[in-house]
Amino acid sequence: MNDWISIPLVAFPLISSMILLAFVSNASPRVREGLVKPIRMACLVFSLLLLVLTTGMFFKYFGEVSWMDIQFNDYEYFVSYAWIDSLGINWTVGLDALSFPMVWLTTFLLPVTIIATWNEKYGATYFPLLLMMGGALIGVFVSLDLFMFYVFWELTLIPMFFLILKWGGADRKYAAQKFFIYTFTASVVMLLGLITLYFLQEPNTLASAGSMTGRSFSIPELIDTARTANVGDNWFLGKTMQNILFVMLMIGFLVKLPAVPFHTWLPDAHVQAPTGGSMLLAGVMLKMGAYGMFRLPLSLFPHALYHFQLALMIIGMVSLVWGAIVCLGQTNLKKMVAYSSVSHMGVILIGIATMQPMGWAAALFMMFAHGIISPMLFAVCGAFKHHYHSMEIGAMRGMAKHSPWLATSMMFAWMASLGLPLLAGFVAEIMMLIALWHMISLDGWSIWWMVGPALVLALTAAYYLWSMQRTIFEGGDDTQPPANMVGKVIPDISNPEKFAMLILAFFTILFGVMPWIALDMMDDWTKQIFNGLILFVGKGGA
Amino acid sequence: MSTLKTVEPFGDGFISALCPELILFAGLILLIVVPNLGDGKFRIPGTQTRIPWLLGGQRFKLTSDPRLPSWIAVITIGTSFVMTILSFQDGVERTAIVSEGGTQILMINAFSRVFELIFFGALTLAAFASMNRLDVKGIGARLSTDELYNNRRQGDFYILMITCALGMSIVALAQDLFVLFIGLELASFSTYVLVAFFKESKAGTEAGMKYFIVGSVASGVGLYGLSMLYLWAGSLQLDVLATTFAQSGSDALPMIGIGFVLVGFGFKVSAAPFHFAAPDAYSGASSPVAGVLATASKAMGIVGLLRILLIVAAPESSEDGTVWLVCLGLLSVITMTWGNLAALGSTNPKRMLAYSSVAHAGYMLAAITAIGAWNWDETLSGDPGEAAVVVLTALMFHLMVLVAFKLGAFLVLSVLESEGGGSRLSSLGGLAKREPFLAVAMFIFMISLAGVPPLAGFMSKLLVIMGIVKVALGDMSEALATGSELGLSDVHWVWWLALAMVINSAISVYYYLRIGVVMFFEEPEEGKTGPLPAGWQVRFAILACLLATVFMGVASDKILEICEIAAQSFNYNWA
Repeated sequence: MNDWISIPLVAFPLISSMILLAFVSNASPRVREGLVKPIRMACLVFSLLLLVLTTGMFFKYFGEVSWMDIQFNDYEYFVSYAWIDSLGINWTVGLDALSFPMVWLTTFLLPVTIIATWNEKYGATYFPLLLMMGGALIGVFVSLDLFMFYVFWELTLIPMFFLILKWGGADRKYAAQKFFIYTFTASVVMLLGLITLYFLQEPNTLASAGSMTGRSFSIPELIDTARTANVGDNWFLGKTMQNILFVMLMIGFLVKLPAVPFHTWLPDAHVQAPTGGSMLLAGVMLKMGAYGMFRLPLSLFPHALYHFQLALMIIGMVSLVWGAIVCLGQTNLKKMVAYSSVSHMGVILIGIATMQPMGWAAALFMMFAHGIISPMLFAVCGAFKHHYHSMEIGAMRGMAKHSPWLATSMMFAWMASLGLPLLAGFVAEIMMLIALWHMISLDGWSIWWMVGPALVLALTAAYYLWSMQRTIFEGGDDTQPPANMVGKVIPDISNPEKFAMLILAFFTILFGVMPWIALDMMDDWTKQIFNGLILFVGKGGA
Repeated sequence: MSTLKTVEPFGDGFISALCPELILFAGLILLIVVPNLGDGKFRIPGTQTRIPWLLGGQRFKLTSDPRLPSWIAVITIGTSFVMTILSFQDGVERTAIVSEGGTQILMINAFSRVFELIFFGALTLAAFASMNRLDVKGIGARLSTDELYNNRRQGDFYILMITCALGMSIVALAQDLFVLFIGLELASFSTYVLVAFFKESKAGTEAGMKYFIVGSVASGVGLYGLSMLYLWAGSLQLDVLATTFAQSGSDALPMIGIGFVLVGFGFKVSAAPFHFAAPDAYSGASSPVAGVLATASKAMGIVGLLRILLIVAAPESSEDGTVWLVCLGLLSVITMTWGNLAALGSTNPKRMLAYSSVAHAGYMLAAITAIGAWNWDETLSGDPGEAAVVVLTALMFHLMVLVAFKLGAFLVLSVLESEGGGSRLSSLGGLAKREPFLAVAMFIFMISLAGVPPLAGFMSKLLVIMGIVKVALGDMSEALATGSELGLSDVHWVWWLALAMVINSAISVYYYLRIGVVMFFEEPEEGKTGPLPAGWQVRFAILACLLATVFMGVASDKILEICEIAAQSFNYNWA
């Protein structure tokens, strides 16, 4: 097996982007001007290489892997080297059905993002920063060591901070600092939780324990310990401790997700971020929160999960409904899309809170599907801004006439996001509804819990259709161009943008029609992790 | 643990044991003598014979070069630094320098060596970076009296740097509180003068006066406390004090005495409420000197605190230390919060760094509190020595990496100072366009101070938090493994110190990021474009700091090992 290829998967984008950045920032302004195009091309090639790598992994080109019936807590391309021995910190990376789709998504979005913003006048540091962002994101998903996980988790903030700060809108300073401080605050609380968890492990029992502390940061070993400890009436670390740690970790993940009431950084960051930044932010970075929930609290603290089921359900419902209601009131296209992300992340939380394997698979698939659809939404917003110099919904009308490509892309993305059947988003939503229904009928919850999702289906359709009506169709007569475009030629989107839209649309359809490509392994994985937990329900553990 | 080797002054092994200090001493003599060498002649009385004796007269070209003292100082302290590193190569031998009566005066072990590393490292970098900070007008040209005077002052500045290093390393070595105090005063007086060195400027004078007055009052109070301790125990030997404390520590006399001594050291680490002079001193002093105050001088104060702590709070001591631990814990939270909140509002980057240094003092006090948490709470169980070693390792690592990024940040400001900026936030504006290297370095120092991985600042903060959490949890992991049900109320209260630290680091992110925002996204001040003046030395020092910041974050394994050995050797009962 070529296990080692999971190392360049992380190291290559990080190192190459840093070299490019160092190279560019030391060049004189005149040389830098000439460097923009070669660097843009280099970044595209590098990101395509990564895509080839992950796609090859999926098609088992680099050796036989079993994505489909992979065991829980068993990892493909697993590599582990000692890093800081005395503390039990190892460079441990590996992929499973939870992380692989996210890694593939990251490597897929990188080139698409680069292509979608191909013609933006962003200078030579923009594309390396995107690449670095991609590397850090992949690092979050593949690391199987709590220390590494945290390092990459925070590392993602730095390129995103600069992306927003350097190429963002008018309020970018405020937005970038708010983004950084919000997520940093949440993640240091998570860090304290992780350290507490670290020292609550039994000393000197694990293979990779550090010489000084006798504990290990290794995630697989931690999960193994937890699974053997969660037996009978025993709970790993005891009920109270599980609850405390669960809350501390969830603070970090819920802010990142983001869930209401911790969501206010997201609209600011999204509206101010440049298109490429928004695409990666919405496409992958938000999923770090959901990924973290699955990787740590769900796998480790089954008791706490049952204990906080209602709280999670309420937070999920509120995010879902509140996000949708706020969308209705938005006049800024990008802000509306940002709030729709909050709403969709609510779906993930509800999926988790259903405590059904199907709900969890729905959450996983939502992570994936939203990761393809939301970049398209933001690409459309970016093109809108780029061509019409405004983000107000009323600024451009009658797009169907003068910009058929942009109008079509927008319509497609909007439809995908509101959950049109045969498109990827629909699969996740319908699965979530079924799982919710299951939960209501099996566990005796009130039928009123269905009201939220049902309401949101209508609300989502309302705000999307309404905004489409106001931009694409209304006022399409040539006699009334929008105020800021009077006397100017109204251009349609450029060829690279068209290409990016086509690719995103293609995969939206692909995963809508054949969701099993990704869903099978997710389904398998959630059943596995769930079967581990269901034992406790039988015992009345909660 | 290696056995203790005792050496009498100038006896066998004296030179090898005190090698770095002796080098410093030799350098000091050289620094005084060499710039005075000239063609001076001595006339034998009653004759006309003149014997050249090299002192005075017309100085030689080499010895009158105003840059000579700085090179001597840098080479001296640098050699001491290298010698200290080399002494780690085959394990540090525990060596005690004893008086004729057999009492230990100085102790050389891994603990003192690590602190020597910190002191010498910081001072080498500061001395190197100061090279082009003082007005040097070269040689040979027609110089005015003022310029000559400035050239002349070069020697003074670097003599003070070396005495500072000497005093600090005595503090690290001392086994007797009186010796420790002498070292402390030697270093303190050097820093008082260094802070006030630019006496022509109003800020410099004010800073020097404030720092001197507050500092000498703090020293006086500390000395008074020492005299009380002496009255009580009849000795200022650390081990005598510790045993006496275990017997009669709850008397009023040692309580008050220790309280006074803590005031003295509290000033050195700039812990609230003794920190008021720090922001003024830092902003008035030249930036490299301010960097020394924030790193080496602070490490010196921590040594003092640790020595006192060994008396009142070492695990094998009595329960009478309780009251001081509660005080320290409260003090740490107040210090870190005060420092961070004050830094939020300051628009002078040097004051901001000063307040951030106050906040860092709070983190270190929290760690010290955790070491002492063992001996007075029944719920804690487990091996106290092991936990103390973890916390102490974290503390030393923190002090070590602080030299890299705190001093580095001050050095960047020092480059700005050379064009009159550095004390206004706006003078950092547009630095990314003017000098990308400096801006990137400063940004990395800032996020390292904030504790963003994978930089050294993150590692150190992580280690301190880990140490505290480990102490707070004690043996809970074993109790949990056997199925007992424990909650937050079973966790020792020092855990909340870790939470306070975590929340404070989140607050601090704002003002650290603001520096980055100004550097990258604001326009330079009126009329200030193009690269900055100042020579290659300070840039080289910044580069060294930058590399250290990244390296000690990513590959901290070896350094951690050294710190761990040092922590064990602090109290050989723990090894």
